[in-house]
Amino acid sequence: MAKEIERSGLPITIMCNLTNIAKTVGSNRIVPTFSVPYPLGNPQASPEEEWAMRKHRVEVAVEALQTPIEEQTVFAVKK
Amino acid sequence: MKLEIGKFFVKKIEFGSKTGYANGVLTINKEEALAKVREDEHITEAELHIVNPGDMVRLVPVKDAYEMRCRIEGAKGVYPGVTAPLESAAHGRIHALKDASLLVVGKHWGSFQDGLLDMGGEYQRNTIYGAMRNLVLVADTDEEFERHEQQKTNHALRWAGFRLSEYVGECLRDLKPEEMESWELDAVNRRSESVQKLPSVVYVMQPQTQMEVPGFNTLIYGWNANHMLPTYMHPNEVLGGAVVSGSFMPCSSKMSTFEHCNNPTIKRLMKDHGKTINFLGVIMSNLNVVMEQKVRMAIMVAQMAKNLGADGAIVAEEGYGNPDVDYIQVLVELEKVGVKTVGISNECTGRDGKSQPLVALDSTATALTSSGNVSQLYNLKPMPVVLGELESLARDGLSGGWEGCVKPDGSAVLENNAMFCSDHPSGFSVKRCFDF
Amino acid sequence: MKKAILYLNQFFGQIGGEDKADFEPVLEDKPIGSAGIFNGIAKNVKIEQTMICGDNFMASHTDEAIERCLKLLEGKKFDIFIAGPAFNAGRYGNACGQICKAVHEKFNVPVITSMNVENPGVEMFKRDMYIFKGGNRATAIKQDMTAMAAFADKIAGGEKLLPADMEGYFPRGIRHEVFLEDLGMEPVMACDRAVDMLLAKLKGEEYVTELPIPKQDLVPIAPAVKDIRKIKVGLVTSGGIVPRENPDRIESASATKWGKYNIAGLDKLPAPEFKTIHAGYDPEQADKNPNVVEPLDAIRALQKEGKLGEVDDFFYATVGTGTTQGEAARMGREIAADLRSRGVEAVILTST
Repeated sequence: MAKEIERSGLPITIMCNLTNIAKTVGSNRIVPTFSVPYPLGNPQASPEEEWAMRKHRVEVAVEALQTPIEEQTVFAVKK
Repeated sequence: MKLEIGKFFVKKIEFGSKTGYANGVLTINKEEALAKVREDEHITEAELHIVNPGDMVRLVPVKDAYEMRCRIEGAKGVYPGVTAPLESAAHGRIHALKDASLLVVGKHWGSFQDGLLDMGGEYQRNTIYGAMRNLVLVADTDEEFERHEQQKTNHALRWAGFRLSEYVGECLRDLKPEEMESWELDAVNRRSESVQKLPSVVYVMQPQTQMEVPGFNTLIYGWNANHMLPTYMHPNEVLGGAVVSGSFMPCSSKMSTFEHCNNPTIKRLMKDHGKTINFLGVIMSNLNVVMEQKVRMAIMVAQMAKNLGADGAIVAEEGYGNPDVDYIQVLVELEKVGVKTVGISNECTGRDGKSQPLVALDSTATALTSSGNVSQLYNLKPMPVVLGELESLARDGLSGGWEGCVKPDGSAVLENNAMFCSDHPSGFSVKRCFDF
Repeated sequence: MKKAILYLNQFFGQIGGEDKADFEPVLEDKPIGSAGIFNGIAKNVKIEQTMICGDNFMASHTDEAIERCLKLLEGKKFDIFIAGPAFNAGRYGNACGQICKAVHEKFNVPVITSMNVENPGVEMFKRDMYIFKGGNRATAIKQDMTAMAAFADKIAGGEKLLPADMEGYFPRGIRHEVFLEDLGMEPVMACDRAVDMLLAKLKGEEYVTELPIPKQDLVPIAPAVKDIRKIKVGLVTSGGIVPRENPDRIESASATKWGKYNIAGLDKLPAPEFKTIHAGYDPEQADKNPNVVEPLDAIRALQKEGKLGEVDDFFYATVGTGTTQGEAARMGREIAADLRSRGVEAVILTST
């Protein structure tokens, strides 16, 4: 799905946990998320930590859209 | 480490006054056997049946399959850490009934991981159990908390299977086996020069362990293998009952408890040991949920294989979909450190056959064995006898069934996904996918 | 006896050479040229009509050529459509591919052609039809036509069709399971096939994987946006986040539908007004706080901080479990078109 959106010429960041799957299906800008059932949540963390993690990763995703890349790229996120 | 298995070839199973085995005939005292099943107060109903190859009988929902065996020497029971005290399963002597198995079937209620199998007709050949004489336990439980859940631990039924398989196997204790097989491997650094010169091979197992909630995963000596990092095991431990099947994986991808005790890939590697290969042993891995766990696991498997001196590895995955990522990751990491790999898994190409066969792929995976297609559609004719409840396939969320897939005349349409163990990633599969 | 129609170019249709390459389509009520080879082999199917079209006409007026060919076929009774063989002739291969694809789509009959592996038509059309592995030059016409005839005959006779390699056509990107014994092969267990493959690999000998890794279909990387604050960003999720009542009735697995939902004025996705309908993961956390799947709250915070400009008033949602690639691609195209119509220039997609 992401691939078809990109094929239409729109840059797209895909945020997912299983980054290998995203790479296999041909996504180009990939930002790792925390887990599968709660990609941008973490029930084990405090609400503050969870919020910081979510905001950080979304910010990386936004930044990825502005980053010129030459090949499929998994963008680094803070722990 | 030497494990001996004394074999008794079953030609007939019958009910009788005394549980025993003689001249190919296995006799079961039904009342005594059922009493063993009812030792768990959660079992509310239980009945035993006998099914033979060619019988027009359908079994569903099948929970697990067991070899009926007993421990003569070594550990104190068949499944150390599960039904018996913790002791190494790798050595000693086991007596086992061959060409036969015990199948445990839910009387009414099915779950995600349960399957269907036919003893006769077109689909008899889809599972190895279709070619065996089987004792069948059909039972119900009072496990109300999961009665209507799609995911069931099936604890009472699975443990009834362990007890019953041990009870029947016990009749072999004092008998002389018709055939003996012996499994033995020296420590990896104590092998003769001629063996050391052969290419060294490890077998990497990835049993299903992806449930975070306890009660569902494959157990290693009774330990939830989700809570485990890859570890090195002697092949005899697997054959000797250290690994028992879980209650989560969609059924065609399942490695049953029977299949762990009879893992044909291990047996083939053991037979080739000293002739064409130097079999180093088993790296027991697992399947994980999140990417970080998958990568950690793969790195550790590769490191272990490399430092054991492996030249080659066979990797087997109990699952499809998400766990394909673990599978491919292990193959990639092994190749990266110079260990040549071959994989065994099924595929999921969709009913039209057009979907990507594994969700993750990598061009370094150049040698893969295919054991079936999860989404192959099967059309089942009505069967005169159904043990269990056919409707469970449609009603209870079995992985390859859906609402309306069972017709009032007893015919059914299902995806292979719900066919009990039919892709046999343990190695028994005699089918594969082809390009069309 | 079933009926087949054969498609040939101007040369093999005996109209003429390169000077006749603009020849416009005709349908002759007789077998022409290599149809004779076909009819000498096939027992259950016969070519009674031959369609001829010049390669240049098909290449330079493709839409018109196809339309006219299809028109000629209207009302004709035929069970199988054969084209070529096209050998390594690029234009002819293109023509055979184009016409077979169109005929299959319109009349839903089996279509068969033949090309050499080097013919660009193979890559273009192998997913859409049976393309037999043909010779490089016209000298192979007899064997190429014989292969197509034998296969057409099997189809006409209702015989079981074998895998691509055994029949001799290029794999179409379709994989099905087969018992080895049904192909007349030894029923060798997977463990033995695996160990044998490993032994060959270790010795550096030839072996054939049973699951060839398909070539990755990469998309050209869309250029980065210059300044994210100056464009409109769209949000998409395959995590199944929808309004509580699931107004578009999106399926919770194997989805064929998508929806778009208004988020204008919201500073986060509220629960329980939004929830997940995705059956492939534990919904507990997503139902408690849908922003862990579609992070609108973080998006709004970044907007407030000036790190992000406009965000579209709608987010797009579907379910990504068990969804076939075909369906996912279609939904992707539809969503892309919709996003573009709303002036979106970059997208963030969250997936579970």
